[in-house]
Amino acid sequence: MANQNGSIYGLTILSPIIDDPKADISHDCAIREYLACLPRDSRSPFAVLSSTHLARLVVMDDVIFVGTPAKEEHLQSKYLVFESNLDGDLDTYLTRMATETRDMVDAVWGHCYGYPGTQNVQAFIAYMKKCQIDTTFFFADVNNQTVRSTLRALKVQASVAEFIGSHQGKLPEQLLAGFRAFYGNVENMAEPVPGHPQEPGTHESIPLQKTMAARHG
Amino acid sequence: MTNINGKTYAMTAITPMKSWKTPILRVFFFLLGRIKPLQAKLVNLSFIHFARWVVVKRRGFPRVSDAQPEENLHYDYLLFFSNFNGTWNQYIDAFADVLADGLDLVWRWSEKFPRSRPVSAFKRYIALVQFDTDYYYTAYPRATTNDVKAAHRVCAALEDLGKSGRDMSPADFNRAYLQFVIRVQKDLGATGVGPIGT
Repeated sequence: MANQNGSIYGLTILSPIIDDPKADISHDCAIREYLACLPRDSRSPFAVLSSTHLARLVVMDDVIFVGTPAKEEHLQSKYLVFESNLDGDLDTYLTRMATETRDMVDAVWGHCYGYPGTQNVQAFIAYMKKCQIDTTFFFADVNNQTVRSTLRALKVQASVAEFIGSHQGKLPEQLLAGFRAFYGNVENMAEPVPGHPQEPGTHESIPLQKTMAARHG
Repeated sequence: MTNINGKTYAMTAITPMKSWKTPILRVFFFLLGRIKPLQAKLVNLSFIHFARWVVVKRRGFPRVSDAQPEENLHYDYLLFFSNFNGTWNQYIDAFADVLADGLDLVWRWSEKFPRSRPVSAFKRYIALVQFDTDYYYTAYPRATTNDVKAAHRVCAALEDLGKSGRDMSPADFNRAYLQFVIRVQKDLGATGVGPIGT
């Protein structure tokens, strides 16, 4: 199945966004506003969904007209595109989305046609699968490692570099004793957190003032 | 910029295709998936974490509610998602340099695709069909795909030494440790904040 490459699952979802001319702020703008302020570091809801390697959300306003002699055409709805590269099986992932990142999922997909909410997990899974498009070709450069094992490997790599640097020129007895202590620490290493903690002073989006936005269209 | 998180760039592109051409593209992807040597150049480029092509048939856009207007499209659409390291320009240049034939085989079925060489026309086309990302998350923003592969190699080497070194004498361990350092030295580059680029 093209959705799977090794142990990595490639999920692609297109959810039609509600078009309501009477809304103060259009639903696609509301999604964009929410996403602009959603943390992208270790506080991200996708860090909670810890089997997510990389994920994106895109509001697709329309299809692209590439110029004549191609035919110009337009979508009847805007679509929310969700692309995720994840470990494990789809049902587990969607269940975790509905239960562990409920606020984010409701805030985003609540602007889409037919969204059943997250209270009924099975209805949510059925909805997401109805919006799923099968991948035609999926490439994964590293397809046999989980998020957890990769984060751990990156931490181990940094520790090894430090160990090698600090043990240059040691006597064999000192080296062996040092290595045994180091290896024990590595085996009992704390689990690294997905997403990197935000750097102090990093840019953060300020939530839009809805009343002002509505006044100015 | 939302297309970038740490060292990774999210590209999303959509191109129209006449529906009779879609099966040809599917055959190409089927062969690409089955014949691994055809992917060698893509693997050797080693700056793409994950990439995918998704064909959406003209009647394949999800319809989940009666309130949702029905689509009436002439074309099928090819969606392309890539998660790569480096800047947009570096990516397109490298793609066009190394994978020109492969790219042409994928996109030649899309309307008005100019071919991947010369690269200036190719870049104009990609810029036209690309969508900006509204939200982008990566679990390891400071690591490139080369960093990830290197880290796993270091981990495997460390595990080997940890197991084999348990009962060694200091002198034997010293020799094994030297071999370990030689084995991992090329994989110890530090990860960190990426350069700023577009």
